[in-house]
Amino acid sequence: MADDSLLPIAILIDELKSDEPLRRLNSISRLGLIAQALGEERTRAELIPFLSENVDDEDEVLLAQAEQLGNFVPYVGGPQYAYLLLPLLETLSTVEETVVRDKAVDSLCKVGASMPDAHSCEHFVPIIKRLGSGEWFTSRVSACGLFATAYPRCTPMLKAELRQLYAQLCRDETPMVRRAAAQKLGGFAKVVERDYCSRELMPLFTDLTQDDQDSVRLLAVESCGAFAQALGQQDATSMLLPIIHKFAQDKSWRVRYNVAQQLVQLCEALGAEVTRIELTPNFVRLLRDPEAEVRVAAAGKVSAFSKLLTPQQIVTSVIPCVRELSMDSSQYVRAALAGVVMEMAPVLGKQLTIDHLVPIFLTLLKDVYPDVRLNVISKLDQVNQVIGIDLLAQSLLPAIEELAEDKHWRVRLAIVEHIPLLASQLGADFFQDKLGPQCMKSLEDQVASIREASTRTLAKVAQEFGPDWARDHLVPHVLGLIKNPHYLYRMTVLGAISSLATIVSSDVLCNHMMPVLTNASKDKVPNVKFNVAKIMERLAPLVSRSVLESTIRPVLLELCEDPDMDVRFYARQALYACDHGPQQ
Amino acid sequence: MAGEPPAAQFADLDANIAKLLKCEPLAEADVKALCEKAKEILAEESNVQPVRCPVTVCGDIHGQFNDLLELFRIGGDSPNTNYLFMGDYVDRGYHSVETVSLLVALKVRFRDRITILRGNHESRQITQVYGFYDECLRKYGSADVWKAFTDLFDYLPLTGLVESKIFCLHGGLSPTLEALDHIRALDRIQEVPHEGPMCDLLWSDPDDRGGWGISPRGAGYTFGADISAAYNHANGLDLISRAHQLVMEGYNWSHEQAVVTIFSAPNYCYRCGNLAAIMEVSDDMSRTFQKFEPAPRRGEPETVFRAGGTTPDYFL
Repeated sequence: MADDSLLPIAILIDELKSDEPLRRLNSISRLGLIAQALGEERTRAELIPFLSENVDDEDEVLLAQAEQLGNFVPYVGGPQYAYLLLPLLETLSTVEETVVRDKAVDSLCKVGASMPDAHSCEHFVPIIKRLGSGEWFTSRVSACGLFATAYPRCTPMLKAELRQLYAQLCRDETPMVRRAAAQKLGGFAKVVERDYCSRELMPLFTDLTQDDQDSVRLLAVESCGAFAQALGQQDATSMLLPIIHKFAQDKSWRVRYNVAQQLVQLCEALGAEVTRIELTPNFVRLLRDPEAEVRVAAAGKVSAFSKLLTPQQIVTSVIPCVRELSMDSSQYVRAALAGVVMEMAPVLGKQLTIDHLVPIFLTLLKDVYPDVRLNVISKLDQVNQVIGIDLLAQSLLPAIEELAEDKHWRVRLAIVEHIPLLASQLGADFFQDKLGPQCMKSLEDQVASIREASTRTLAKVAQEFGPDWARDHLVPHVLGLIKNPHYLYRMTVLGAISSLATIVSSDVLCNHMMPVLTNASKDKVPNVKFNVAKIMERLAPLVSRSVLESTIRPVLLELCEDPDMDVRFYARQALYACDHGPQQ
Repeated sequence: MAGEPPAAQFADLDANIAKLLKCEPLAEADVKALCEKAKEILAEESNVQPVRCPVTVCGDIHGQFNDLLELFRIGGDSPNTNYLFMGDYVDRGYHSVETVSLLVALKVRFRDRITILRGNHESRQITQVYGFYDECLRKYGSADVWKAFTDLFDYLPLTGLVESKIFCLHGGLSPTLEALDHIRALDRIQEVPHEGPMCDLLWSDPDDRGGWGISPRGAGYTFGADISAAYNHANGLDLISRAHQLVMEGYNWSHEQAVVTIFSAPNYCYRCGNLAAIMEVSDDMSRTFQKFEPAPRRGEPETVFRAGGTTPDYFL
């Protein structure tokens, strides 16, 4: 290590042995760099053995090490040497701390996947066997995560052994191991041949679904989807349906919750036909579950599930539940429903939406809980496309106008942010009548974020309806607000000028807006003055040389002499930009 | 004209402020440099720092960084909006480091746009008990950053005076400080003492009972409406604005509107269910209050939030 350029590496290596955990952690997280500097040979001969001797470290250090080793195959010399990493990772996958173990298993899979098939049988499979029959449950838990990586590359004989070992793990006496086996079973099923899958794995799965521990059952639920795919539709329907029926009525709400989460995926795997006939009653039952948590999960899926049904079926089976849920006693259920219910509109089509969904939207829009109202508003565009603008105007606009005055500011903000969308669909006349005044009111909202958002909204609306329209209908009103006695509201006008400047004609910019800015540069509040400077910096490239010299420069020069240091700073900054072009 | 744009001299500081606004703590060296610079600026300020209107007056923040950002969403960003904070930036919340770093960085960048006063938690003793010390240790691995900040805290002004009319401070009045000039005469560059006038300013509370009383906090005094009225009259004040106490509606009038309490940490300690408030003092000295709820927190479980509920007494 005489070479100076390697000095930092030498320090890193020294720090691997440091007494300070923080230093070791720092060094470990640069393990790749160290290995690169050492070269493949010395990494194999020195670094890996060194690391193997030091696995009795703090969990954080071990976690970093487990993560690093997952990417280590190139540093030890490629796939044919990958097996050298296995003993170290095997040790790490038996430690007590779960996160370290999980990371080690991830890395083992990564390394294992890169190995040649022969090495996999020779080095990787023995690890599974050792871990899987380990004395401590920790190693048996880790083993469960390795099968899917090894199995496809094994000889038929080894494959049989692995299946047998997995069966053993599924029947382990420790619930933690059965949980891991239940969790990983789906992934394993995907790589096991279909025949073995239905003959050997399916019975294991059935057993796990009847486990005494609800924590095991609820993880088994997550494997349903993978099984559905692995078995093929025919087998899946006959074997899985009874299990799903049972799960959906499990006595543990956590299991039912997971069913609600997984049901749509399952339906997709089992096909629309089965869904319509067999699974809809289950879904309806979950929507009416006595436990609010389950209803939250199910309510969030109404639209995704409805997409698999015919409109008529939605109306007869799902809509009645949705109507009940819109008045659910739990605000979280109503909020979850509000977040997705609008997405049912495209599935239902215009008339059914009007008849069945619009009343529900209106109920939710008047909900006492702001998150519910907010969630409906943020999906407004979807219903707009389906029911058309006239009807939207008739039925929903009154509610929206009411929400623009909502006492919860985030609801008002959401309305302001939706105005450009509504404006583009409703047209200029309608905007002027209904939304325009609302928009102007938002410019004077007490909440700063809403004032800012409404300046952006104005710019978008002006863009939509064109510069002439903006000149006639927006600009005069906006500029009129500069007389507000409160500085924050005067600055909102400056913000609006700044965002409208690129949209209006240069006549409006120079003859209407510029005089307002010039006046504002004499405001008694420094904040207004330095905002004038900032905006003039932005407007300078938009105006002619003569306006720059006759209007902007004199204002900025005067502001450079202001008693307030921030005003002087922004004026100097703006002048610099005028002279040197805009800053990057 | 010379090559560098004027903004270049603030490039590092502006980058640090941008970083802090994302709730990322600064590097240790940057914190130390920031504190040194802030000391120079604060050393020039008075014990009764004059403040111009318009200004937005805020109470306790207590490391609730996300709620501080919510405060800026409601009141407007610094430097566009002028702010006066009445202390207690650290302790209790999860992000004392980021909160106090941001406020100090803003002070250094825009000294005339923001005023930061000292609260009773800006002290070596209190921060070792209520979380700031531990947070520094956790985030920086040593107590150096805590030391840099607590050394800086000694320089924070004790009170602010808006247009000679609104007297702002963290706690309340002191029986030994009848006139503003008495406060101006204090030597404030020190740790908050256990007793005496400087301690009182940071610890006292208004009370329904008249006269001076013994504070249940063990530091400072309680003072009645008669005391506030006399103090405002003697010093030509309209209002005493203070923080220091949790109030469920975010702000609370007392002493026949001679005193207002402002508290800007919504759902204090993530569990009290209170609203927060700020007081916007306009160009013409008219006052508006804005109340706000905690910022929605992504990824965190719903906290029990009960607006208008009852105050658990152990947080008072």
